[in-house]
Formats: sequence, C-alpha cells, structure tokens
Amino acid sequence: MMIPRLTRAAALSALALILFAPNALADETCMSPYMAKIVGQEDYIYIWTLGIEGVGDGEDKLVTVDVNPDSESYAQVVHSVSVGGRNEAHHSGLSDDRRYLWASGLDTSKIFIFDVHTDPGKPRLHKTIDDFVAKSGGIVGPHTNYALPGRMLLTGLSNNRDHGGRTGMVEYTNAGEYITTHWMPTDDNLQGAVKSGSYADGYGYDARALPRRNVLVTSSFTGWNNYMMNLGKMMADAEAMKRFGNTVVIWDLHTRKPKKILDVPGAPLEIRCAWGSRSNYCFTSTALTSKIWLIYEDDTGDWHAKAVADIGDASKIPLPVDISISADDNHLWVNTWNDGKVRLYDTTNPHAPTQVFEHQIGEQVNMVSQSWDGERVYFTSSLLANWDKTESTGGDLQYFKLYGWDGEKLSPRFHLDFIELGLGAPHQMRFGAYALYGLTPPARDAAAADAR
Amino acid sequence: MPDRRLILCGLVLMSTVLQAAPHDHPEPVVLAPGYSALEFVPPQPGTYQLPPLGSAADGEVLDSSGQSRRLHDYLGDKITVLSFIFTRCNDVNGCPLATFVMKGVQQTVMAVPALKNNVRVVSFSFDPAYDTPEVLRSYGEHFRDPGFDWQFLTTAGDAELAAILDAYGQWVIKDYDSEGNFLGTMSHVLRVYLIDRDKRIRNIYSTSYLHADTLRSDIATLLQETGKP
Repeated sequence: MMIPRLTRAAALSALALILFAPNALADETCMSPYMAKIVGQEDYIYIWTLGIEGVGDGEDKLVTVDVNPDSESYAQVVHSVSVGGRNEAHHSGLSDDRRYLWASGLDTSKIFIFDVHTDPGKPRLHKTIDDFVAKSGGIVGPHTNYALPGRMLLTGLSNNRDHGGRTGMVEYTNAGEYITTHWMPTDDNLQGAVKSGSYADGYGYDARALPRRNVLVTSSFTGWNNYMMNLGKMMADAEAMKRFGNTVVIWDLHTRKPKKILDVPGAPLEIRCAWGSRSNYCFTSTALTSKIWLIYEDDTGDWHAKAVADIGDASKIPLPVDISISADDNHLWVNTWNDGKVRLYDTTNPHAPTQVFEHQIGEQVNMVSQSWDGERVYFTSSLLANWDKTESTGGDLQYFKLYGWDGEKLSPRFHLDFIELGLGAPHQMRFGAYALYGLTPPARDAAAADAR
Repeated sequence: MPDRRLILCGLVLMSTVLQAAPHDHPEPVVLAPGYSALEFVPPQPGTYQLPPLGSAADGEVLDSSGQSRRLHDYLGDKITVLSFIFTRCNDVNGCPLATFVMKGVQQTVMAVPALKNNVRVVSFSFDPAYDTPEVLRSYGEHFRDPGFDWQFLTTAGDAELAAILDAYGQWVIKDYDSEGNFLGTMSHVLRVYLIDRDKRIRNIYSTSYLHADTLRSDIATLLQETGKP
C-alpha cells in the first residue's frame, strides 16, 4: 500500500482542509455523514456528464474542472474520462474514504467506479459494474450512490418487470461486490412499515441517513418508462403523469427495515438533512407540486412530513430539482429547472422557511452544490436527456458555473459552456482535494493567483 | 446554530488539527455517540440480517508476547470484533473511542457466561514501529479483563501491515515533517469489523456508528445463526 509523504506545507494544508465528521451531514453540504469533509478550498469538481450525440465523442464522461484560484489551470477542464457510450449519466457519490467516485447510469443501469485518490487531477475508470439488474433481483436505474461505513448504498428508480416506479435499494461493498437488496414497501407488502397516509407506492429516488437517530430517509420519483420518455409527450399523457412517487419512507438505518411511510405527494426528490447535533429533520422538494417539505421527528420519536413553503408559482411548473442546505442549517438553496432560477430560503425556523433571494442562473438549471463555508456555489444545467431543453435562446443551455456568495448576492466567478467544449450535458458535481490523500498539489503560481 | 463542534468531534486527525482549524480558538470536542448512552433502542437480536461483506483477510502478525502468528489464528472459532488502532492516537474520537467501545463489549460478554467463550476482541495496530508487542502488552493491561479473550496484535514491519490494511480497505496516511521525518501521527477513517465463524465480515462500524449496544445486538444476531449459545 502506498503511504504518501507529506511536506510540512501539505501536512498543514491537509489539517486545515479536512475534517472527518461523525454525525453530520452538509456538497460538501450534502455528503454522507460517514465521510471526510473538505472545509477549506476544494481543488477540483468532478462532473458526471451525459453524452449528447454529435457533441464531442457523444459519450458519458467524468469531467474534472480545476476550481482552486491558486492553480495555474483554474477555471479550466483539466481532465475527462469517457466511459464508452451513453447510459443516462445522472448521479454520483464518493465512498466513505473518498478514494473512489461511483457514477451511475439510469438507462443502462451500469455503475462506473472512478479512482480519484491516486491522482485527484486525473481520475481513472477503476471498475464497471454491468450486472446491477441481475444481481439486485430486478432493480433498474441506480440513482443515489451513498456512502455507509465500508459500503455503498444505491437507490433504484425502477424495475425490470414493468419499468415502472416500484423499486428498491441495493448495497455494495466498497470494492464493488453486491451485498443485498431492500425493496421499497408497498401496499402489497408493507414489510412491517406503518402506512400513515394514502400511499405506499414503492417508488424510490434519494436516500440520506441520520445515524444518531438510527434513521434512513428515502424519497420517490418515477420509473424508467417516464424518465426515459420525451418530456412534452409525457406531460400530455395523463396516465403517465399519474405514475410519480408520492411518498417518503422512514427506515431503521441499522436493520434496513422500513418503519413508516409518509405521504409527500408530487414526486419528492433530493433529501438534505440538518447538521445540528439536536436537529432531527430533513428537507425535500416536490417536483410536481412545487413545495418544500419538512420531514421531522417529534418529541415522542415519531416522524412526520408537512409542506412548509411554496417554490415559485406552481401553476407555471417551475419544476424544483436540486436543493442544498448550508452547514449551519440556516439556509436552503432551491433550484427550479424549468425557469432556470435558484432561490434561497431562510430555514432558521425549519417549520416556516421564507424566501430571501432569487437569481436567474441559466435557461435551465438542475444541480446546486456549495462549499462547506457557503462562499462558493456551483451549478450545472442538465436534468435528463429526453427532458433537457434543446433549443437555446441565449447560448446558456448546458453549463457549469461558479458563483461567489457574500450573504447578499451571487457574483459570477466563471462558467464553462459544455456544448462549446464538446463535453455534453453536465449533471452531478462532487468535490476533490489533494489534501484528502496526503498529496501535494502541483506548484501554484502565486502571482497568477494574485492577478486573478 | 453552526455546529462546528460536531465537526471537530469527528476528527480522526491529530490534536494539531485544533490549532489548524479555521477558528479563533479551539472549540471543545464533542464526544462521539459511542461514549454515551445510545439515543435509540438497539435492535432485537435475530430480527434482522447482517449479509456477508466478503472474506476477512489473513496475514502475518505478532501477538503481544512477540510470537509470530497468522491473523486467521484469531478468526473462525469465535465471533471476532477486529479494531484497527495505534496507541499514540490522541484523537478522543479515533482509536480511544474504538478501545472504549471494545471495553464495553468486554463488559457485556463478561456479564453473560454463555457469551464468554464465543466472542473475541482483536485490537490491531497500524503503527508497528512504535507499537511493539511489549508496548501493546502494556497498553492492553490498562483495558483487558484477564478473563476475557482480548488480543493485541501488531506486525513485524510495514510490508506485513500494508498487505493486511489493503485487504481490509483500511486506508492510513502517515504525517511527515519537512525533513521527511514521521511525526508519529496518522490520519485514517476509523473502522471496526465484525467477523463471523466462517471468517466473513458481517458489519463495519465507523465513528458515528460505533456503539457497544448495537455491537452487542449484532454479536447476538450472529450467535443465534449458529445456535451458540
């Protein structure tokens, strides 16, 4: 095993940058609580990018962008690894030791595991899992890649029987070996869970853990039939529009058994849990009903869900997508894909968030990730291959953008046009840093950094 | 309320982090959940599954008397809790947490005669240069009940150690000064492994997950599988 040597500077840098958080969740503010955190300046953003036919090689790829202002290659794409085809590249996640990045495809159900620790500036494809459906017993569409101690939890979106929304979660070892499958509870088989409302649909999407409370929270989207359909066609299909998730499930984290099914109608997507040591709640947003929902534990230990804020004008279908909670739990960034806007909510009172800021990011916007200190906010544009807009009105369709945030306004730092660069449609972002691995970054050009 | 204390409490880095952290003054360290009463009711043994996570690797080790042994000599005949530590670790939520929880496991096992002959704890050092068999023997005397099967192991050198750490996915970074001298400190993700009688890993615990009560449930679950006790 390689034991990298540290210079004094690198050692100090590592100490200042990296914290191992035991019980906390915040992109850096949305990672698994089991994972080391970058609390200083990140070096790279790894962007899992969907290939577009006719754009570059047309393949899905992991794109590495240098985001350290002290670097000579700041604001540039420094590396790209194509994976040999299009898979509906969507989400990605780091293992608990952050040595590997798992990136999955919703269409082919392939999972690509990248080594990001040997050379953080040049990730390489380490392993491909191409038997996910067979091994899992029929789960289709691996979505969230979430680190648990020594293993990865993958949520599914669909199944191979009808390509609808009934699905489950699948566990793998960090080495990429299949462990087990957990199907979502349904009316047919509640698996001991309490159905607290009208729905037990068995749909899946995201997952987040609150280990201190022994709780795993999952949300629900839609199946392969819908997410691979043209957006306009689907929205005109009344039957298809009925097939979206309406539930959040509370699980026993230790036993992986579902405990309670909560009604959260309108496709609850990303889940972000509070970091506070006594804050027993998470947020999610509903794509179809355009609301922020609070998933919270009461004083008796029972879990509930309630809508706590509107996101824009639901009648205009803003389509909320990614959300990002600040490290102090006091703010929540909310992207709406259809109008290309980000909104910031004050969540000091999680039961009554209030919108305090709004900004136009692009013609469409999907993912938002913030640094631990909240001073840098990153955005990407792509949602799904067959849902993304294709007719640009301003040359701002497929992009990666960095803004500075001073508490009052977003200030553009740089943006990259992923079509112009021949890369594709950028989706999930994950952060990388040399200090995580005791490595010394390439020589910095201080003068160039000062000039910037 | 910013919860920086919570973050600091999870450091598996060294104490110097507190000085290097971006704060005006070091904040008090919040102890990991493993030091306190569990916030939830531990699962009932035998009501849930612990699917195998692969084989527990073998390797050349030294016991605390300096005898050369195989790691597999300590696996298989009993349910084994394997913890990677180093005795110079001074982060309260790192190796000391692991040893504290192992002591809790010892207390549980000693209190239940039926468990006593079916459970072993192994504390395995990843600092062979400092953690000689003699050092480990002395370290162990502070924690081990003479009637309990708690083994303290090390290796003859880095080569033997590296093979074992690699096989278990336990990544460790040694810290050096500008002269290339080892500072005696290491950064790592805390990991403890539960290993069954077939020498298979059945659970992995890290800082926020490690607690004697949940370990006890998992040990009892494995013992029920084999009908012992």
